[in-house]
Amino acid sequence: MIVLDQLTKSFPGKPLAVDRLSFRVSPGEVYGLLGPNGAGKTTTLRMILGLLTPTSGDAAVNGCRVSAEPLRMKSQLGLVSASAGLYQWLSVRELLEYFGHGYGLPREEIERGIEKLTRIMGLGEFLDQRCSTLSTGQQQRTNLARALIHDPPVVLLDEPTRGLDVIGSQVVFEYVDQLRQLGKAIVVCTHQLDEAERLCDRFGLLHHGRLRYEGTLASLQHETGKRSLVEMFLAILSEDQIQEQVTS
Amino acid sequence: MSVVSRFGGLLTGLMGRQERILILKELRETLRDRRTIVTLFAMPLLLYPLLGLAFRFVALQQVAAGPPEYCIAIENDEDATWLLHAMRLGEERMEQQFRATGFLDRPTECPPQVSFYVLDRQEPGRLEHIVAGGQADLGVRIHYRDQMMTRELPGAHVETVKCDGSLVSHEAADYIEERLSAITDAMIAPQLRPVSLQIPNALSEQSHIVEPQRQSTALLSLLPLVLLLMTVTGGVYPAIDLTAGERERDTLESLMALPLPRYRILFAKFLAVVAVTLLTGLMNLLAMCVTMYSLQLESMLFGADGLTALLVFKLFTVLVVFGFFYATLLLLLTCSARSFKEAQAYLIPLLMLSLAPGVSIAMPGWELNYQTALLPLMNMLLLARELFENTASLGPSLLALLATAAYGVVALYAASRIFGNDAVSHGSSSNWAELFRRPEKRVATPSLVMSFGLLLALIPAYIFASGFLARFVDLSMDWRLLMSGVTTILLFGVFPLAVLKWYRVDWNTALRLRTTRVFSWPAALLMGLFAWPWIFELVRLTNSWGWTSFGDRQFNQVSALLNSWSATPFPVLLLVMAVLPGICEELFFRGVLLSGLRRRFSWRMSILLSALAFGVFHVVLAGGLSPERIVPSTVMGLLLGWVAWEAGSVLPAVLLHVVHNSTLLTLARYRDEIALYTKGLGVDYHLPPLWLAISAVCLFLAAIMMHRRNGLAWHPVPKHVSA
Repeated sequence: MIVLDQLTKSFPGKPLAVDRLSFRVSPGEVYGLLGPNGAGKTTTLRMILGLLTPTSGDAAVNGCRVSAEPLRMKSQLGLVSASAGLYQWLSVRELLEYFGHGYGLPREEIERGIEKLTRIMGLGEFLDQRCSTLSTGQQQRTNLARALIHDPPVVLLDEPTRGLDVIGSQVVFEYVDQLRQLGKAIVVCTHQLDEAERLCDRFGLLHHGRLRYEGTLASLQHETGKRSLVEMFLAILSEDQIQEQVTS
Repeated sequence: MSVVSRFGGLLTGLMGRQERILILKELRETLRDRRTIVTLFAMPLLLYPLLGLAFRFVALQQVAAGPPEYCIAIENDEDATWLLHAMRLGEERMEQQFRATGFLDRPTECPPQVSFYVLDRQEPGRLEHIVAGGQADLGVRIHYRDQMMTRELPGAHVETVKCDGSLVSHEAADYIEERLSAITDAMIAPQLRPVSLQIPNALSEQSHIVEPQRQSTALLSLLPLVLLLMTVTGGVYPAIDLTAGERERDTLESLMALPLPRYRILFAKFLAVVAVTLLTGLMNLLAMCVTMYSLQLESMLFGADGLTALLVFKLFTVLVVFGFFYATLLLLLTCSARSFKEAQAYLIPLLMLSLAPGVSIAMPGWELNYQTALLPLMNMLLLARELFENTASLGPSLLALLATAAYGVVALYAASRIFGNDAVSHGSSSNWAELFRRPEKRVATPSLVMSFGLLLALIPAYIFASGFLARFVDLSMDWRLLMSGVTTILLFGVFPLAVLKWYRVDWNTALRLRTTRVFSWPAALLMGLFAWPWIFELVRLTNSWGWTSFGDRQFNQVSALLNSWSATPFPVLLLVMAVLPGICEELFFRGVLLSGLRRRFSWRMSILLSALAFGVFHVVLAGGLSPERIVPSTVMGLLLGWVAWEAGSVLPAVLLHVVHNSTLLTLARYRDEIALYTKGLGVDYHLPPLWLAISAVCLFLAAIMMHRRNGLAWHPVPKHVSA
């Protein structure tokens, strides 16, 4: 289980990037952290990963807090970054071996992990090819496999379908579904609201670093009186515009 | 088996599995890229043969061009006159001998141009020393005899001193000996003996050879620069690619998400950069050796011993240490870059700056000693040059290697603090308009970036302003002083204050303009009056290390300048040369800069950094480079920083600075009167021990008064005055 408690981040001379954000995600649950560009989604993920130091607040996975044990926390997280970000001169196998060693796994376990992921993700046909020669879909599958090589209890996906066509996006959806079945706690950050509706069990609607609404689709529909996530966001935006006009 | 796998085998025995895997990944990423391989192998293989051919071409041009020129060292003017007469006589006899063989004319040859190096003093072995040192091609010593050779020319025993291995020296000796022999032959053969020649045996000759001293040539100064710079170019691309490149390709995020400390990830990258740098160094060394051998340049450059295996080993050791040091510098700069382009922009100035010491060591006077061994970059270039010249001493060489390694460790530590941190990952992406936008809220102190930006802007501005002022030589001294004063006020006063005003930084807090304890004032006054003897001795100390630009010529120039001030009223001089610089420099260095540094660093570190900036500023601004000022000015900066900290205000530091400047100016003004008591202030002069003792006692008393915890405080000052 992953828990965020009043997580806040400010950068000098700028408004709060993330403002007292709190939520929890249970094993086997897919949580959609949704918001437009600049809402604070990626900053939140970076704080969870220990790449950014929170201004205040904390995040924890199974009781392990990022502020106290950042390295142990990292070993329990798998990150699927927005861009594939693969090492162009390494083969897919070398890449997975490298990250396996980076997570401190023994060689046998890495080999078993690669075998398993090859089967699940269909990496066999390009396992020994250099990453620079892979298609976009193959790169994204490799990116997903990299995040799972150490079998983490929590997986963070940052814009996982960015730049992918329909087939590529379908691979991601299937992958997330498999992770759910494996009992992973999953956080998906995206601004593709229609896709999020298909993927996620619960949603957090983030705007200007603040969590505006949180709940299942049904509860959000009930709370906001809107049918889709897109309508809900448009309502949030218009509320903000009115607020800004009043204050100015 | 690939190079990377072989390297992996080597690493197995040296470090743990995880470190090995981390390094191998970095090496794979680097060595599989063709651009690295081109830099590694193709560049040295192409460059050194071309350079070798160019060297040979230049050497041949020097030999073939124009008539020969012989510089002959001789003990006095009388000997020079005798030798000239003898040469003319010899020339006539040779002509006569040639005609006697039946030919009408001798084949035409370009007559050599002979010049004389007349010794400044007579010492045993001086002539040999001059020839061995390469200052003259040949030495000639003349012992006169009682017999006359001609009616005007006395007989003599002529001793020639040749330099071993010097073609020019032997040719010059041949030239003289041929003519002396012609005279001797004419004396012996009666049919050739003209009336002018008196008796046989009035002339005899003897020659001996001296071993040449090792001397620096422009070529030997250039070679270390080429070798070391070519070596580090191998590390440039990997350093950028493995840091800024990773950030640009979005691979750094997943790398930093690994449960590994940052320093371990960086260390793997560092070792990869070092490995590639050393491979490049090895290739360069190999290409240089092959070029030297194949083009037969080794004896021309390295003397009779040539390029030995021991020399190659020593050079490789220098390359290892230098590669280690430079790799850390490269990583330090590229770690803070967010893109490949930005990293390149950072590295180009570094490479340009690296050329400067290379050019400097080509100038005379630079040698590796215990002081220059501490100068980064310069020490390695000097060491490489002295290894080429076979003149390197063990102590300074070891110190240079250790100092460079230590600098490398410091740079690596700094890089590990920067690598992957918040500020770099998510630094400001503001545009230019935002940079100059005026903030809405007032702030107490300037940011570190603002303080450093002002410092970087002031250095070139002051150099340009000083240069422009120096062009107005036709103006009267009063006008020049006025312009100097206005420049100081504009640059150190108006400009920083205007910037602070624009960015809504409070002047009082930023410049630390506060009232302070009453005892701070007499303490600052005492320090200002009595700091100069020790500052003077520090200048002498750095002079003794060879860090000097102040010879007799400069001493005379300064004296002339001081004399030209004599017509100016002394209070005006004090105002422009002591008071204004004291006030303005303090407002900037102990005001703006110290406040900005304090935002990031501890008090001690802030004082140290501001003092270093103060020291460097005074080196750069003395009408060129004055390296001897770095130590005294930095020490003065430390003292001023400490006073500003203890007093909680910049004002006592202003007083100290003004009084110190005024004291120095007064001493300069009345130097002739003071000289009556001090036996003259020559270049090698040291102050009497009594003066230094009095100064030390006064400084000690002032420090006690200044120190906050002595119970003498008029009113308490907060511990941290501004943050």
